[in-house]
Order: sequence, then C-alpha cells, then structure tokens
Amino acid sequence: MTTQTSTQEMACRTPRQRWSPLQLLLVTWRNLVTIVRTPEALLPPIAISVFFLIIYDSTLGKASGFIPNIGSNSYLGFILPLSIVSSSLSGAGVAAQNLVRDIESGYFDKLLLTPISRATLLFAPILAGAFILGMQASIVVGIGLLLGLQPATGFPGLLVVIGLAILLGTGFAGFTVSAALGSGSAAATQGASFIFFPLTFLAPTFVPIDLLDGWLKSAAQINPITYVLEAMRGLINQGWDGVALWQGVLACLLLAGAMYALAVFALRVRTRRT
Amino acid sequence: MSEFVNVNRTNGEIRVEQLVKKYPGDVVAVDDISFHVESGQIFGFLGPNGAGKSTTIKILTTLALPTEGIAFVGGYDVVCEAADVRRIAGVALQDIGLDPMMKSMELLTLQGQLFGNSRSGARKRAEELLELMRLTDAKDRRVGTYSGGMRRRLDLALALVHEPQILFLDEPTTGLDPAGRRDVWEEVRRLNRQLGMTIFLTTQYLEEADELADVIAIIDRGKVQTEGSPARLKAAVGNESINLAFESGEIAERARVDLKDLADRIQSDRDVVRLYVSQAAERIPLVVNRLQELELNPISITLTQPTLDDVFLQVTGQRLIAQEAMPVQPE
Repeated sequence: MTTQTSTQEMACRTPRQRWSPLQLLLVTWRNLVTIVRTPEALLPPIAISVFFLIIYDSTLGKASGFIPNIGSNSYLGFILPLSIVSSSLSGAGVAAQNLVRDIESGYFDKLLLTPISRATLLFAPILAGAFILGMQASIVVGIGLLLGLQPATGFPGLLVVIGLAILLGTGFAGFTVSAALGSGSAAATQGASFIFFPLTFLAPTFVPIDLLDGWLKSAAQINPITYVLEAMRGLINQGWDGVALWQGVLACLLLAGAMYALAVFALRVRTRRT
Repeated sequence: MSEFVNVNRTNGEIRVEQLVKKYPGDVVAVDDISFHVESGQIFGFLGPNGAGKSTTIKILTTLALPTEGIAFVGGYDVVCEAADVRRIAGVALQDIGLDPMMKSMELLTLQGQLFGNSRSGARKRAEELLELMRLTDAKDRRVGTYSGGMRRRLDLALALVHEPQILFLDEPTTGLDPAGRRDVWEEVRRLNRQLGMTIFLTTQYLEEADELADVIAIIDRGKVQTEGSPARLKAAVGNESINLAFESGEIAERARVDLKDLADRIQSDRDVVRLYVSQAAERIPLVVNRLQELELNPISITLTQPTLDDVFLQVTGQRLIAQEAMPVQPE
C-alpha cells in the first residue's frame, strides 16, 4: 500500500514551492507576535538565568580565590557565560513551543495549504526564537554589567558574546524544533528542551576545564557548550583570543549543522502526504 | 444548475474515479468511490461519522494521497498538481485550524499575503471578508475569545481569501447552534449563487444536505451507496403516505382492515393508520369518501413525503443519527 502511494507520487514531479524572503519575514513576524502575546512563556527563562547568576556569584564567588586559573578577574565574569548559555538554550525552547502550538491548533496544516515553502515553516519559528534569545542574552549581559562586570574586550566583546549565544541557541533550536515536528506534542517538546539542563553541567561549568577529571572531563571535551563557554569567558575575562573564539563558533556551527539536518528530516516526515 | 461558464471543460469540476484509501492495518477508509461534481454545483457528501467523508476531503484538498484511483479538482490532478489544486480550491476543515493568539484581521491579511497579494490588497480583501462574515466588530480581538460560530465564520473567511473556484467544507455546521447553522447555510448558498462557486460539502445532517445540495451522495463504510438530487433520491424510495389519526386504536384497526384495497401497503401503529400509495394526494378524496361511508371520523389527515432519512435507511439499513463530532475523528 505504502509503496503504491509513494510510487504514485513519484510518478509525477511535484514542483516545490519556491522560497521567498518576504514569506519568511511575514511568518517570522507572526511568530514574534504570538511569542510577545505569551509573556508567561518568555519571562521565566530570563528570571531563572538572572536568579542563578546572582546565586552562583554570591555563593561561589567568595570561594573563587581558591580556584586556580580563573585569573585576576572576578568570578562574575567566569560564571556569567553559564547564565547566558542557559538562557539561550531555554530560549530555543520558545521556537519549538511556538511551532508545536501551531501543530496542535491545526494552524500548521492551514499554512501547508498556502503556497508557502517548507523551509519557511521550519525557519520562521527558529528566526523568531533567535530574536527572542538574543534579547534574553542581552538582558542577562545587562544585569551582569549592573552587578559590576568589567569585560576585558569592552562593548564589542559583549556583542560577540551575544552573537555566540544566538548562534548556539539557534543551533539548539534545530533540536527542539525537530522534537516539535516529530512528536506534535507540547509536553514532549518541553521534555526534549530540558536536555540542555544536564548538558550545561557536563562542561567546565563552575571551574576551569583543567580542574575536571575522568569521565566528566571526557564528556566536557565533546560537549559543544564547553567551547562556547570558554570562548565567552575568554572574551569577558582575558581579551581577544582568536583560537578560543573560533573553537566556540565552530562548535556552534557543528551543532547547528547536525541539528538542522535532523530538523529537515523531521519536517519531511511531518509534511509528507500519506 | 451548471452553466459551464468556463471555457476549460474541467475547470470548476471535481472528478473522482475509483478512489481507494487504505491505512496500515488493512483499514479501508474509502473503498472504490467515483463521482462527478459539475461546475457551479453544490454537492453534498452525506454519511455518519467514520464513513470516509473526511478522508475523501483530505485527498481532494491534497492533504492526503489516495492509495488507488484518480481525482481531479478543477482539472488538476490532486497527486501531481497539488500546488494548482491549492491555488484554485479553498478548504475549511472540520478541525478549525486557527491560532488563538492572533486577531482575525491579522490572520486574514497574512493569508492573503502568503497567496501573493500585496499588503494593502490583502488588507482590503480581509476587510471585505470580515464584513461578509459579520466579523468586522471583532476584527481586532484575539481569536481565542471568539465563540464557536465566529470561529467557523473566520475559518470560512480564510478559505475564501484567494477567491477559490471550488470550495471544500468538511462538516461546516457541526457543533453550531441552529442559528449559527442557518447563517452558514445562507453563506454557502450566497457563495454558490453569486460567485458560481462549486461547493463540495460533507455533512452528517440530513436536513443540511436536503437544504443545500443540488446532488447528494450517501456514503457509508467507505462506499457511495446512492447518488442523485434530493428529490430523485426521495422519489426512488417509493411511496408517499396518507396518515390518518383516530381516537382509539380499535377504530384505527377497523380503518386498516376496511381501507386495505385503497393502498399499496397499509400499516397501523396504535391510533394511526398509514396508507402507502404513489400519488397520495390524488388518492385522498377516495379515502375520505370511504371513511364517510364507514362513518369513521379521523382526527387528522396528513400527507407524508419520503425524507432523506428514509432514503438513508433504505440504502444503508440504518438511521442516520447525527453525533456531535469528537475532537479527533478517527476516520
């Protein structure tokens, strides 16, 4: 039966809808509108990031004098990237939540019946999510500044930090969006999004990587978040370090590449006519 | 009915031949159905829940693929020319797909722009449709606050944004109150008469099919059981009946025995006697004369014409009891 169906469809070459920047812009805008109208999904990730930033800084900051290799800089600068990373990872959940809401309401099917490209259905929520998590990262950085952060690379360095956060978050959004497309369920999507939580701890989260040992060190070495954290810390505490920066960017790109491949597959399955 | 205004001979038509849809596990949702809807016709697909109506509409609107058979909508193959089908056809599915966070004006404008309209053009069209569906007052309210009837009307408006030639309505009035139902009927008729739109609608309500459709196909267990205009279908079930109500069951029983020769078939049910005859109206004087001779005085004499329900009973062996659609219909 199934083979018959697919051969029937393959017998004719169905021209794909062409990708249009205007459509992407329109649907991204619509995603942003709905995100802004659900502040209850937007505020907790920021609140939690800020909460942890303050807690870590005040509980561990005092002890930081005993931790070697942090350098002459403050523990705040060391721990701030963790806050930024976790806010951008949870921000990636926003993109997926938006998509899964459309699938559940049936609006996704309605969009499918318009002359819209499949890529737009995937990247509009991701772009909207990128915008949101960029904002979140900026807020966390702003709070860091209020707490007395003095970045080694100044304002341009902070912009790069925020850029890295967006890059990491949109890559991770590929994963959460795949979960949304694959499951079509808000609960499952939310569950999948929480994978970021353990991932942020399988990294040089509280101490520099040299102080990690055994399996934790091995896990940290293959965790892309490690390199993003290192790159951000370098920018905030040390100064411009080309190698760390490129490693961070590369880690983000590798993550994004793998996750988008997964997302494209999930989209195919979701939109395939059966 | 059909005026064949279009030069293209298949435009505005729906042609379905030997359509089969099987789901894994040998579930046959649609079992070899064929039908033809002419341009400008309202075609009613009548059947109970799970009969295969929604599956058929999903195939015709390119959301699902047929397992076997062919289907052309407006002259376009639903399998190979899906994009063309989407361009000329509008769909309002049974599960209304609206984003509750958006406002109706926003949804309609976006839909118009996705179909290639300019922003101002899309806004103008949106205003028109809001007016048409009497939603202008609610255009800047979030859809989440709308009533069931308003959502239906907005969904219908969304289906009309790109001025389709063929409109598919999957159970457009399920879940609506009688007033809301009337509104939708009026709208469907208007779209059909004023714009010459071909309308394919599924329903589980007999009176809806009777009221709206030029041609009805009764579908049950995946098969088309019968097809024709409501009048023809009703005539085919056979006899009209003259119904005589008496004061008591005994009188009715006497009448049944003494009037036997005037009817093709006679039946008594407590104090009512039914005479099944063709051309019942012409037979009434004879019946009245006989009653006078026998000095039997009925309380009432009524004439019953067969209903679609009788048609349905005859072709499927069961009565059609409309159920409110469940949130997810396992069709």
